[in-house]
Amino acid sequence: MRRLSSLVAPTGPVGRRMLGGLALACLAALANFGLLVLSGWLLAAAAAAGLAGSVAAHAFNMALPAAGVRFLATLRILARYGERVVTHDATLRLVGQFRAWSFGRLVRQPPAHLSRQRSGEQLFRFVSDTERVGHAYLDVGVPFAAAAVCGLVYVCIIAAFVPSAGIVLAAGLLACGVALPLAAGHLSDRATARIAAHQDAMHGDLVDILQGLDEIAFLGAGDAMCRRLDARQTTIRQARLRLAAIEGGARALVGVVAVLTALGVLACASAARHAGLLSAACLPMLGLGALAAFESVAPLPAARQTARHALLAGRRVRAACAVPPLPASGSLSPAAPLDLEVRDLGMRYAPDEDWVLRHAGLTIRQGERVALVGPSGAGKSTVAGLLFGFHGYQEGTIRFGGVEARALAPDALPGLVGVMAQDAHLFQGSIRRNLAMACPTADEAAMWAALEIAQLATFVREASAGLDTLIGEAGLRLSGGQGRRLALACVVLRRPRWLILDEPTEGLDAATEQAVMAGLVASLPHDATLLCITHRTAILPFLDRTVEIADRRFHEVATSRGRPR
Amino acid sequence: MRTGDSGLTGLASRAGRWLGVAVVLNGAAAAMLVLQLIVLARIVADLAFQSHGFGAEAGRAGWLAALLAGRALLVWLADMAAATAGMKVATALRADVLAHLLRVGPLGMAGLGAGEAVTTLTDGIDALEPYVAHYLPRAAMMAVMPLMILACVAGLDGWSFAILACTGPLIPLFMALVGYRAQAIMDRQWTQLLLLGSSFLDFLQGMTTLRLFGHARQAAAAVACMADDYRRTTLSVMRVAFLTSAALEFFASLSIALVAVVFGARLLAGHADFRTAFLVLLLAPEYFMPLRAFSASYHARQNATVAMRRVAALLALPEAPAAVAPAEPLRGAVAAIACADLSAGYDAGGAPVLEHASCQFLRDELTVVVGESGAGKTTLMRLLLGLLAPSAGRVVALDEGGQAVAGPWRDRIGWVPQRPCLPFGTVADILRLGAPDADLARLRAAAAQADALAFIEALPQGFDTPVGERGARLSGGQARRLALTRALVRDPAILILDEPTADLDPESEKRVAEAIRHAVPGRIVIVTTHRQAVIAQADRLFSVAGGALRPLSISERAAA
Repeated sequence: MRRLSSLVAPTGPVGRRMLGGLALACLAALANFGLLVLSGWLLAAAAAAGLAGSVAAHAFNMALPAAGVRFLATLRILARYGERVVTHDATLRLVGQFRAWSFGRLVRQPPAHLSRQRSGEQLFRFVSDTERVGHAYLDVGVPFAAAAVCGLVYVCIIAAFVPSAGIVLAAGLLACGVALPLAAGHLSDRATARIAAHQDAMHGDLVDILQGLDEIAFLGAGDAMCRRLDARQTTIRQARLRLAAIEGGARALVGVVAVLTALGVLACASAARHAGLLSAACLPMLGLGALAAFESVAPLPAARQTARHALLAGRRVRAACAVPPLPASGSLSPAAPLDLEVRDLGMRYAPDEDWVLRHAGLTIRQGERVALVGPSGAGKSTVAGLLFGFHGYQEGTIRFGGVEARALAPDALPGLVGVMAQDAHLFQGSIRRNLAMACPTADEAAMWAALEIAQLATFVREASAGLDTLIGEAGLRLSGGQGRRLALACVVLRRPRWLILDEPTEGLDAATEQAVMAGLVASLPHDATLLCITHRTAILPFLDRTVEIADRRFHEVATSRGRPR
Repeated sequence: MRTGDSGLTGLASRAGRWLGVAVVLNGAAAAMLVLQLIVLARIVADLAFQSHGFGAEAGRAGWLAALLAGRALLVWLADMAAATAGMKVATALRADVLAHLLRVGPLGMAGLGAGEAVTTLTDGIDALEPYVAHYLPRAAMMAVMPLMILACVAGLDGWSFAILACTGPLIPLFMALVGYRAQAIMDRQWTQLLLLGSSFLDFLQGMTTLRLFGHARQAAAAVACMADDYRRTTLSVMRVAFLTSAALEFFASLSIALVAVVFGARLLAGHADFRTAFLVLLLAPEYFMPLRAFSASYHARQNATVAMRRVAALLALPEAPAAVAPAEPLRGAVAAIACADLSAGYDAGGAPVLEHASCQFLRDELTVVVGESGAGKTTLMRLLLGLLAPSAGRVVALDEGGQAVAGPWRDRIGWVPQRPCLPFGTVADILRLGAPDADLARLRAAAAQADALAFIEALPQGFDTPVGERGARLSGGQARRLALTRALVRDPAILILDEPTADLDPESEKRVAEAIRHAVPGRIVIVTTHRQAVIAQADRLFSVAGGALRPLSISERAAA
């Protein structure tokens, strides 16, 4: 993964577009300035010539300046269009690059670090934060840079006619382009931070409320919760109104300063005219020019406020990406037989949390079919995570194919072990896309075979678009059971030597459950290993032995239901 | 409120007063702008074509400054009024939707993920703000400002009036045509835009799955690829919008140029005076300005329509009937709860999860229900709580004489779920959620009963310590005891606890089990569990297996 800074370097593809967008923004602003200045001059010059009598009027060549006006008007339109296209293009590229970069960082972290809290609410935040950072170019960078460049040009042009007017304009522009944004930013930064904090809190409250609706109902706490939301909303509203007041006030001030500066410029020009240094026709032009110049600085106070939002968002993204990546894994490959041996294992998520597993031991030989049962929250689902190095363990050993889990090469496991996690994610798009995500090399026949095993083939065949049927965001258009079966098909399609299935038949009715398990077991080669994490007793007959997790350990369960070997 | 559009109309009326204020202020500001331009044109003309210096214009400059300040104030006030309108609408709607969802209750919400509802409540409703704060006032200004300027120009110059009056209406017409086309493109790509727009979230959510597939590294490239597709699709839509406004600008400058040319010729011939020409040329861009502002905020309407559709979907959820029924006071004390021949299931055609279950839960007893997960414990619990309607049989509360108790006895239930909801706040806040006016003594008494007093007092600020996800961290056992305390503060006649000791270490488990035991006198206490520490405390034991409920004798306890 390239470093982010190299992407936005002026020589990079995004950097070039960013500079191009900025150049077009400057061009559009300057064309606007030129247009107003030239038309002011044209009008006044025509009037002066008209006043001076018919000879002067005939001598006055209107064609050239009129052509100039037309040229500048066209230039302004084209440059504005180009500016918008190029800057938005650059912004979207920037967001994309930034997201790819941060995803590359996140993907090397312990899984679910970002989503561990609030069941994925952080993910939504992360998405909008990355967008906000990318938009800083469009909303902050371009306005400030264009104002700096164009401001200098405006002042130089005006000063070329009347130096003192140039100084007046420079003072006005500096007041609006530097002092006002600074002051506005200073006044609003605290409110911005307060909004961010309270919006987070409101978000958290809403999640709490909606996830705990039944409990709140029995506590009779609905009204209290509504009052709580009201209080939060009032705080946020006040802070945002403050921001709006500051921004609106600053914008109004820019308008006032613009006209006052124009008056100052006119006063200077008038003095110059009386001193004979300036023609009458040039005077309206300078006044209009001064007014036009302020169009470049008007958006700056708002841009300064946006900058703060972007800064906070950037900090959050950086903090999320700064979580240290998983400890460097080893480079060893597991050797046959692919036995799993757990010895005296101790594992907990954090030093201040309870042990999930302690002094736990378990052996699963290659080719065994094992059920792992136990109460919810007992640590059943951590087993796969431990093997893949998603969770560290503090005591004991886990060996897979004779190699300590920590020393396994990160690429070695996914090819050998197929895991269907409890929260297996279905990607938006078609059924085909999901299967292809699992196994990019699979052909259509293999896909159908996998669907057949998962008892989903009939459903897909009857669906309007077959394999290309869209399953909606996160597979929402599938029922829970269908989603589980598609996830199972994805894992089966990879033909792993080891299968770890977390609640594979959750949400299925009894008949389908039996069919799925029968199809699955029949499809496995005899040396393939199957570990089913489950609480469904109905699937135990398909498995050789049952292991229970209780009191932080694995216990062999003597069962008569096991399949005869 | 079935569709987004009719919902939007409702929005506008909600914000009526503030929007009205904003429009009136904007109108006044527009009038002052015209006056301001008149004075400015006068000053410029005088300075250029009269022989006197700037000092002679000091009076007019003063007028200009006053108009300027007045207009700035009016614009500022109008903006504030519009912003207030937007925020008021959003906050009121958010409160309404939440209150509605609370009335809908957990059963009505069952088909809907909490995450989705939260997104609608936050980002969705936020998208309505720009519509109210920007789109609506600008739409109103589009009618006010051009007419005002047109009237003004009519008094100044006939030719210019004719040009502006003819070109003005053409522009919205042309815009409507282009906008119609843009809308068609937008509609066609909308689904794809939504899909691509959420692809990053999709990848983030599927990060673990991708790693399990061993595709994590390629996925970063895929993220970049999807972002690129999104960029291309978005730009193709944006380009139409940008072209539209370029066309608008083209027509505007064309008509301004026309005004200027007509004036230029007459100025040269000496038929017109500079002041009028200058003023008309100052006014002409303002004639087109509202149209530009309006077209810039057009997408606000698009976003609002989509958001409103999602809000309307939440508001369309039917309210739970129990919440609507008038609460009549409960007569008599509850001495027992009886389940008679209860059957229940989730699918209409599916097998019942619980069949012909009959049992009694008595006061002053700790009744424990055991059973493997999935056997029907949760279903029994939901039936008791009234969260699920039985397909046959009934649940009744009995008084001391064995007669059914009339009235809303379920209000007297205290319920502690497996994962209690502990929102951010101080300990006292959390405890008072169900009883806002409970005094500290009551909180302390309940905490003592739930064995929570010692750890609460050991917290840095005692009952005023902020806890929860963003506050001091509680252990699993402490959180359970806090939730138990909260239920006890309401002094429930019936206490129902779902797996109160799941995920706890033996030491905390023992404490929680003992705390539950302390709560038994004077109450019906029902606990589901599979943990020995709680079973050991039971007075009465039921087991759920295969849809049947049967009592276990104490001797069967060890095997449970």
